[in-house]
Amino acid sequence: MAQYFLEQARVTDFIAHLLAHHTVYAPHHRGGRSFAFEKTSDPEAVVLDYPRVLNAVKKFFLPPREVLLHFDLTRDTAAVPKVEPIDAVFLGVHSYDLAAVRRLDFNFSTGNPERNYLVRRKGARFIGVSYVPDKHHFAGSVGIDPYDMTGCDMFLTKHADGWIVDILTGEGSELAAGFKLEAHDEPKPRRAHFTQHVFVPQARLGQVMEASYDHPVWNETAETCLSCGTCNLVCPTCYCFNVEESVGIDCTNGHRERSWDGCMLRGFTEVAGGEVFREKVAARQRHRVYRKFKYISDVTGQPWCVGCGRCTASCTAKISIVEIVNRLIRDSERDESILT
Amino acid sequence: MEQQTQFSGAEPRELYLPEMATITEVRRLTDLETLYTVELPGGRELGHKPGQFVEVSLYGIGEAPFSISSSPTRRGSFELGVRRVGQLTEVLAGYVPGRKIGIRGPFGNGIDVSKFTGKDVLIIAGGIGLVPMRSMINYVLDRRDEFGRLIICYGSRSDSELLFPDELAAWEKDPRVEYHVTVDRGTEGWTGRTGVITTLLPGLALDLPNTVACICGPPVMYRFVVMALRGRGLPDQNVYMSLERRMKCGVGKCGHCQINHTYVCQDGPVYNLPDIAKLREAL
Repeated sequence: MAQYFLEQARVTDFIAHLLAHHTVYAPHHRGGRSFAFEKTSDPEAVVLDYPRVLNAVKKFFLPPREVLLHFDLTRDTAAVPKVEPIDAVFLGVHSYDLAAVRRLDFNFSTGNPERNYLVRRKGARFIGVSYVPDKHHFAGSVGIDPYDMTGCDMFLTKHADGWIVDILTGEGSELAAGFKLEAHDEPKPRRAHFTQHVFVPQARLGQVMEASYDHPVWNETAETCLSCGTCNLVCPTCYCFNVEESVGIDCTNGHRERSWDGCMLRGFTEVAGGEVFREKVAARQRHRVYRKFKYISDVTGQPWCVGCGRCTASCTAKISIVEIVNRLIRDSERDESILT
Repeated sequence: MEQQTQFSGAEPRELYLPEMATITEVRRLTDLETLYTVELPGGRELGHKPGQFVEVSLYGIGEAPFSISSSPTRRGSFELGVRRVGQLTEVLAGYVPGRKIGIRGPFGNGIDVSKFTGKDVLIIAGGIGLVPMRSMINYVLDRRDEFGRLIICYGSRSDSELLFPDELAAWEKDPRVEYHVTVDRGTEGWTGRTGVITTLLPGLALDLPNTVACICGPPVMYRFVVMALRGRGLPDQNVYMSLERRMKCGVGKCGHCQINHTYVCQDGPVYNLPDIAKLREAL
């Protein structure tokens, strides 16, 4: 695949080139340490060198709120809203967030394929960027390094005073067409330094989790956990949703809407009559962590956590998924050495 | 899993749009429970299996899962037994024949009837658990030659809460049915047995390897019934149970009904005991 070089000074020109032909979503600075993927109008406002965006690109394909049905209460009829492909370029996506998109793709295309997600997702093109891991990233431990170009049409790797550009697909060539890029053949940086690690091979994580169902860490974590669901909301691979009804003020029409939900919230498993199947915070924490490292992974062979560090970075109670998992690993190894 | 998802090809079918069906009959069962007969447009069959469920929509109110109470052998319509416990069921309680409701489904695996064929069928139903079990009971009654004995154990809080009283009376008289009932507390005049449902099990004459049980009831009941059946020596692989969870989407997407790795709306609601005996959130 062809490789080029883009000087930092020409980045805004390149974004302007993209904007001339396409809708572009890219990271923008939102104040403080906060970055968000937003529709781009000003090339100068795009930040390619950022630690992480608060919400992953998931929010475009599985919006935080989405109408599933419009209904007419005078006739008792309902219709599904028209869902359009998001015909846009997503510029500046980190490899772990693309890995998360692939996991969502799997979820919404297997079993009962879901039209809403798949139609929206169809038009997306991705330009990935490398990043420097901060104190929360641990994507390397789940096999996704900052230079991983999987799923991208084009990839920008930070190098010296600019970016090495990999054109990876026909779509990628089209995005670059008409913009002058210098050919480049220097070797690329390959290794990234992560400060956070999960210390076990992926293949063994399932076993570790299997042995940790009654580990004290769940109750200990529950003592500080506020059960607020923030970890679910910021997770790029969480896809659970709630469904609610909304009726217009004249009671003639309304809509059924789905919104992001979280398994850390107490009401998540509540059924009519008031029974809550995961009443204890500890059970909900275990469910959350097992969803990322066991339940789906046992089926797909891949961790469902992509190591973005968002849940830890956003946790008001400073609960770290890396610390939880490493403690389970450590204790399961200790237990094994006692037994054998 | 790393293979790329293909986004070309035919658009998937619509998952969330209900079909409008008509309530043709409303039968008050108790103060709280009502049985609705529902017809799809053109009298089309729902095509369900015993033990499956549908999602019922009342536009402007919401959507909720209900188990199907009728057997697929009774054609032309299907029945839903509904307890008035929430917003949607409260509104539904005011519905009369002719009203329309939205239906999605049938969903879930349902009962694998082939596992019961040729065997003695033991139905254990607690309270409103009789509603889904009734689909299996009537299936067995309508295809009586294909099964061995039909033993029904039904427990209720009180005799005033017994569901389908005319059908219970018919089962009591029917020589093809062995019907046992107990109530936690009988009202004045109750001459039947008093006690929790597990008190029915020790006295049953069971042809053990040839008996297959199906259980449905309130969450608290399962553990005790399973212990009682194990006490009788019934092998776990002969025990099936229907679990209740909050099945919001019915199509394996929303996550609410998940127990460990299993989605109740996809792999359940009917499980073989060995498959869930080790799932500690299941029972």
